[in-house]
Amino acid sequence: MLELKNLDSGYDFLQVLWDVSLTVEKGEFVALIGPNGAGKSTTLRTVAGLVKPMGGDILFKGESIRNKPAHIISRMGISYVSEALNLFTDMSVRENLLLGAYAVKEKETQLETLDYIFELFPRLQERKDQLAGTMSGGERKMLAIARGMMSNPTLMLVDEPSLGLQPNLTYDVFSALLKLVKQGVTILLVEQNVNATLDITDRAYILEQGRIVMDGPSQEMKANQHVQNAYLGI
Amino acid sequence: MTTETPAATLTSVDLMTRIKDNLPVVVVSVFSVILFVLVGIEGGPPQLFNVIVTGGMWALLATGLALVFGVMNIPHFAHGESFMVGAYVSYFTFTPMNKFFLSTGSKFLIYSGPILAIIAAGLAGCVLGIIIERIIFAPLRHRTKEGWIMNAFLLTVGLSFILVNGTTLTLGPNFRGIPRYYDVPALEFMGAFIAVDRIVATAIAIVTIGSLWFFLRQTKTGRAIRAVSQDETGAQLVGIDLDFIQTLTFSLATGTAAISGASLLFMFQAYPTVGLTPLYFAWYVVMLVGLGNVAGAIFGGFIVALLQSATQLFIGLSWQSVVPTAVMILVLILAPSGIFGSEVKGIQEQ
Amino acid sequence: MNSTATYQENQTAWEKIVSFINSIGFSPLGLGLLIILAILPNFYPFSQEYIIRWLIMGAFLAAQAVAFDFTAGYINIVNFGFAALLGLGAYTSGIFANTTPFLLYAPGLNPWLTIWIGALMAGLVGFVLGILTLRLRGIFAAVLAWFLGIALMGLVNNLTELTRGPLGMNPVKFIETPNNLPYFYIILTMMVMIYVVLKLVVRSNIGLAFKAIGQNPDAARASGINPTKYLVFNFTLSAFFAGLLGGFYAHFFGSLTPSTLMHTSKTVEVLAIAYIGGRGSLWGGLTIAFPFVFFIEALRSNLTSLPGLHLVIYGVLMVTIMIYYPNGFSGFYFWAVAKVKSFFKKK
Repeated sequence: MLELKNLDSGYDFLQVLWDVSLTVEKGEFVALIGPNGAGKSTTLRTVAGLVKPMGGDILFKGESIRNKPAHIISRMGISYVSEALNLFTDMSVRENLLLGAYAVKEKETQLETLDYIFELFPRLQERKDQLAGTMSGGERKMLAIARGMMSNPTLMLVDEPSLGLQPNLTYDVFSALLKLVKQGVTILLVEQNVNATLDITDRAYILEQGRIVMDGPSQEMKANQHVQNAYLGI
Repeated sequence: MTTETPAATLTSVDLMTRIKDNLPVVVVSVFSVILFVLVGIEGGPPQLFNVIVTGGMWALLATGLALVFGVMNIPHFAHGESFMVGAYVSYFTFTPMNKFFLSTGSKFLIYSGPILAIIAAGLAGCVLGIIIERIIFAPLRHRTKEGWIMNAFLLTVGLSFILVNGTTLTLGPNFRGIPRYYDVPALEFMGAFIAVDRIVATAIAIVTIGSLWFFLRQTKTGRAIRAVSQDETGAQLVGIDLDFIQTLTFSLATGTAAISGASLLFMFQAYPTVGLTPLYFAWYVVMLVGLGNVAGAIFGGFIVALLQSATQLFIGLSWQSVVPTAVMILVLILAPSGIFGSEVKGIQEQ
Repeated sequence: MNSTATYQENQTAWEKIVSFINSIGFSPLGLGLLIILAILPNFYPFSQEYIIRWLIMGAFLAAQAVAFDFTAGYINIVNFGFAALLGLGAYTSGIFANTTPFLLYAPGLNPWLTIWIGALMAGLVGFVLGILTLRLRGIFAAVLAWFLGIALMGLVNNLTELTRGPLGMNPVKFIETPNNLPYFYIILTMMVMIYVVLKLVVRSNIGLAFKAIGQNPDAARASGINPTKYLVFNFTLSAFFAGLLGGFYAHFFGSLTPSTLMHTSKTVEVLAIAYIGGRGSLWGGLTIAFPFVFFIEALRSNLTSLPGLHLVIYGVLMVTIMIYYPNGFSGFYFWAVAKVKSFFKKK
């Protein structure tokens, strides 16, 4: 479904990604892990259209999307849940979610999805009229993911959802993601919490200093010596 | 851009903290009430109606200005020229149309004449806004975001220059005016005679602001506009086309300013530099309540009008360009983010 | 020591001359052009009165652009009340030199003296403005200056007993002569003085501090530069010269009205020249001002059927430059020089 081919990317004159190639098949739950500053966020941002690639290509369902603007990519069915969340802080939970479905044409579908999301995230329903900016960190992450789901995406790019979260909230977030995968959503997850990530995902890529150094099924990665030393503290 | 106002809950300790936190708002509110009472006593109902008419005018103009700043991050110096365009379009539409309607003798047509002219002005304003945004702002936005606020500001300064002198060039510097829109006697209310034109102008201002408000709060596109003003990246990620929203916003701002200029044709007339004074006052409002605060701009319009009226009554008509300005300088020094202290995106950067 | 003595001997006479010229802020080309400019009005067709008048206006605008760029191009604040400061200087000078009995004051001082009083007055207000803008960034500082300009203009308009308000004031002229030529040399001297002083300041450590504050005030503060004194100094000096130029205007033109002199649109004209010439260069606006005035005046006199066309072209030019060539003329010049140099290097 998603294919990165020899992707070079970066900001102004600073190249961050070098010859990155990876694939995510339909229905897969794939992880992109690596140390701080490796370029994981840059990878997602480039796919989402926020950063222009310097070389290589990005294919979504076989079609090149490297030159498409971010809002078009969103409308094609790719939802990016950024690290910064990019919530609309002066709007209520409900309004944020409705905006998540901005590209959805039919009003009934919008409202149906809204109801469904509220079922999935009862805490958000409780706070549906609360301003997004006044919620706690965990709730805002939930909201960001929920908003990303409102457009019924085929592919979700999730950027470090567990960052700054207490362990129990991290558990909630990861459960939510797993639920999504079970419903057929394809997910590419960037994470620092390597242990938990390798437990829930199908495959993983390791990105170090802007290059893919390793990839394979998550359980194999977990058993790998280098991964254990560098990321699992073993 | 904030369209929310804080809810009010009252316990005495709560109240004291709330006052302390919102000191600028409290000070200005108290000051305004005092002014209102003073103006009412000294000038009576006629002056108070003056304040309402002027306040409506500034409120309408200022909302457009606030919108442009909140969504596009542009301090718009050429906003007065939208006012000017509205006045001219109304003049050139109304004058021949009115002649024709008078000849038909139909009361209905004669009474709707001004409204039609004002609507025409609004539409012309919207079109002009689209053209300007596409030709001038979109290219700059796609070129570089560096030093955006100052560059955009200076661009609007250049734009103002072009529009004022272009109008002088094509239409001449002469004043084009009409004595009145409605040839009916003034209405009496609470001992004061108010011209029907002014009532209509205020009503139009209220309706326009109300419609804009409804649009922004309740419709999908309006919500998208608010989204762009709060988080551009977030807006892109939910599929909002930024270029479209920017053009739409600018078009709305230009259109509403044109409506304002058109509805006040009987008061201001149409000439190339007519927009300059309204520009200052719209800026006073926006600086008072905080750049990008659309809701606040509505209240701010009346506060500034009150200040003007008080200056006129107690000091002198010609001091209207000095005293309110001096007050605004004070506000800028003491509370540059406005009395509501809205932290609009991009203010912190140069 | 021996080594430095040998080094200096190795400098050719030409190099010595060039370094001297540089030390007063000019390039050889610039100085050459200045000398030509100074001599020009003695020769036909430039000796015609109306052409000399154009030259005067050119120099007047050029000097303003330099003083304006000193603030806008270095500490990065657009002084949007610049014209009002100029007007303040003009009116102050006019009042102190006033001899007509029906105004409140008629001290009747010598205009050559009063222009400096005007400059001081403007400098004082500039000082205050500098202090007021200390806490404000970018657009807020510009807006504060703008509002102050509006208030000043309104004040001058209202203090009719001092200024005759909108009716206008007629200060005495410097010299009673129908010729424009002496005035040209007066303004030219002022222009050169302003340029040299400001250029030398900008070249010094003070100028470095300006640039640091302009780029990143917080970083500047962290490096031990106190933005306060530099910012205030910049505003005061710029305003002082603006006031001085206002004094010139008062006693050259002999007629002042608040709305023609102090209006925001006058600041815009100076701003446009400074930007088109190239912000932060000082000489850019100076150079551009002359061809500009000539171009506009020529257009105005030839296309009398299209009033205001020159200003429209002016505005379009300013907008185009700001979008597509933000470095202005000075940027273009450096780029062209670099291209020519690299062309010759290849050979």
